Amino acid sequence: MEPVAIVGWALTPMVRRTDKSEARLLFDVVTGATEDAGITRADVDFSCAGSCDYVAGQAFSFVQNIDAVGAWPPKRDSHVEMDGAWALYEAWVRLQLGDLDVAIAMGSGRSSTADPATIYPMEMDPYYLAPLGADAVSLAALQARVLLDAGLVTERDMAGVAARTRADAVGNPYAQVSGEYDVDALLKEDYVRAPLRKHDLSPITDGAAAVIIARGDKARELSDNPVWITGFAHSAEPHQPGVRDLRASTSTARAAKAAGADGHFDVAELQAAFTHEEPLLTAALGLGPDVAVNPSGGPLAANPVMATGLVRVIEAARQIRDRGKQRTLAHATSGPCLQQNLVCVLEGTK
Amino acid sequence: MTTFVESTVRFPYKRSLGSVIGYFMTALTDRRIVGIRNGDRVLVPPLEWDPATAEQLNPDFVDVGPAGTVRSWTWVAAPSGQHPLDHPFAFALIELDGASTTLLHAVDAGDISAMETGLRVAPRWRAQRVGHLTDIEAFVPGEEPVTPEDDAGPAAEPVTMMNYDASISYTTPVPETQLVFGKAFAEGRLVGLECPNCHRVYTGLQQACPVCAIPLNGTHEVELPQTGTLTTFTIITPVQYPGQTETEPFARVHVLTDDIDAVLAYQPVVDFPNADVHPGVRVKAVWTTDADGKQELAGWTPTGEPDVDDPSIVNRIF
Repeated sequence: MEPVAIVGWALTPMVRRTDKSEARLLFDVVTGATEDAGITRADVDFSCAGSCDYVAGQAFSFVQNIDAVGAWPPKRDSHVEMDGAWALYEAWVRLQLGDLDVAIAMGSGRSSTADPATIYPMEMDPYYLAPLGADAVSLAALQARVLLDAGLVTERDMAGVAARTRADAVGNPYAQVSGEYDVDALLKEDYVRAPLRKHDLSPITDGAAAVIIARGDKARELSDNPVWITGFAHSAEPHQPGVRDLRASTSTARAAKAAGADGHFDVAELQAAFTHEEPLLTAALGLGPDVAVNPSGGPLAANPVMATGLVRVIEAARQIRDRGKQRTLAHATSGPCLQQNLVCVLEGTK
Repeated sequence: MTTFVESTVRFPYKRSLGSVIGYFMTALTDRRIVGIRNGDRVLVPPLEWDPATAEQLNPDFVDVGPAGTVRSWTWVAAPSGQHPLDHPFAFALIELDGASTTLLHAVDAGDISAMETGLRVAPRWRAQRVGHLTDIEAFVPGEEPVTPEDDAGPAAEPVTMMNYDASISYTTPVPETQLVFGKAFAEGRLVGLECPNCHRVYTGLQQACPVCAIPLNGTHEVELPQTGTLTTFTIITPVQYPGQTETEPFARVHVLTDDIDAVLAYQPVVDFPNADVHPGVRVKAVWTTDADGKQELAGWTPTGEPDVDDPSIVNRIF
């Protein structure tokens, strides 16, 4: 495996509704990430972006987004209709070929463009799920109840996750939702989709993120403290939630094993967009109580759809480069009830 | 102050069902719910492949239900137009009798207090069934399926296709660069945006010079001439999708504006027969005035000047 490291990144402010276009959000994070890595756009050999036309409300919206990277000198480019974490995965695979040194991965979403409940069914099975208007929150609520009925989590646990992450997010300048909340008060709120209350859900967020990765010697040349990607894998389960055992996340466990994630981490940044997903993922990843989960506040603090997973990688990398941690984990997910999961293991230079 | 534009996009899909899903949908018109055997399991709704191994499954169908057990549920207190019922209902994962998996559907239980895991439910059928998941209007508490008195009976032919009509309303910001173009258009002017570094002129959706990575805005506006040369074209034979107003083949052309190095892409034409459209034709802009006195670019029409015989124009697609 070619050694590849993260050498720079940038995030936009995370807000309920931005007046900037997606292309402009990306322009800003590409500028920020290249500056952070001490390079220019001309140094980027390969770019890969994650976004979604249904979120943008425009066919081929990703073509405009390429302007953010720049057209000169000509560079190889790709796009995934996925979270930017999968764009990073493709960029990492591309660097494994050994002929390119520097790549940029991006993720962007203006979730405020439309009601997510109308957009989400468009990525569902069009025969059995989409015609019912099966939205993300309803599907998540079905999984939450399975966990509650199985005694794997309680509504108080879930409110506890919301309170802890919102409190952690107070120190995160990129958080959209943060503050001190009382669990008993949270439990008195009405259900949005029983058993989920508003605090069990992620906010609707506009935002973008970009990450620069570089290979071996180039990474050492660019950074005094490169964050090495030492494991990277993703795995999917069947699309139909009804054929899966929703009490566990087997694809997360499978991806973790393939990535060499043994549960021993200083910090784990998980794309738990609903409170009940955090204990489910923690169990699948074998994380003990000594691992700090989502100290940034996680997706419950800001959820820029199509960038949320890539932001987890950035926050996990930040823990190593800027906070002195040694080994961290980033997780990203896609599809109904945690259908597909990605695990990225990051390590500092000892 | 940012301008936001609101638009609604319809996605009227028409899908072929294949032999497995088609069988399931056809059975629905006969008020039957079927699963498919997968080893010692019965998958409901049926899938074409084993979800664990991706092996193709034999078409060994099994009748299940009609009653079943709620394995999980959530309550939709304020349904939207995309939901199967217009009053509060539950979404539930229902394990039909004889099935090994659960089917997602609506439960019309009246009130959230009637819902619990383990609740027994049965389908309430529509009178007119077309081979669609919503032929089951909803499941209702109890053991007995509900059929309307005016039941129309099963489909005469196997169901092979289904319609799914989705609609999403968007609120999107209009980039400042687009406002520059729109304001000029209303005044009968054509403008571009010139990169202050490389002096390339952009006339499309660019909000930054993609070569120099410099953001563009109103201060970079340059006036474009209203005459130019056609560099390339396409003749489009319209397909009658929803919203398509053209009925006959029509041209779209790219125009290289005179003196200024800018191409206006995918422009309509006026009084310009499709057979005469070719690279090199000299053209000029044609404007119309709308009821509010605003100018609108109707398209481009030949000036009558001789063709430009310059091989370089073939490199000027953009």
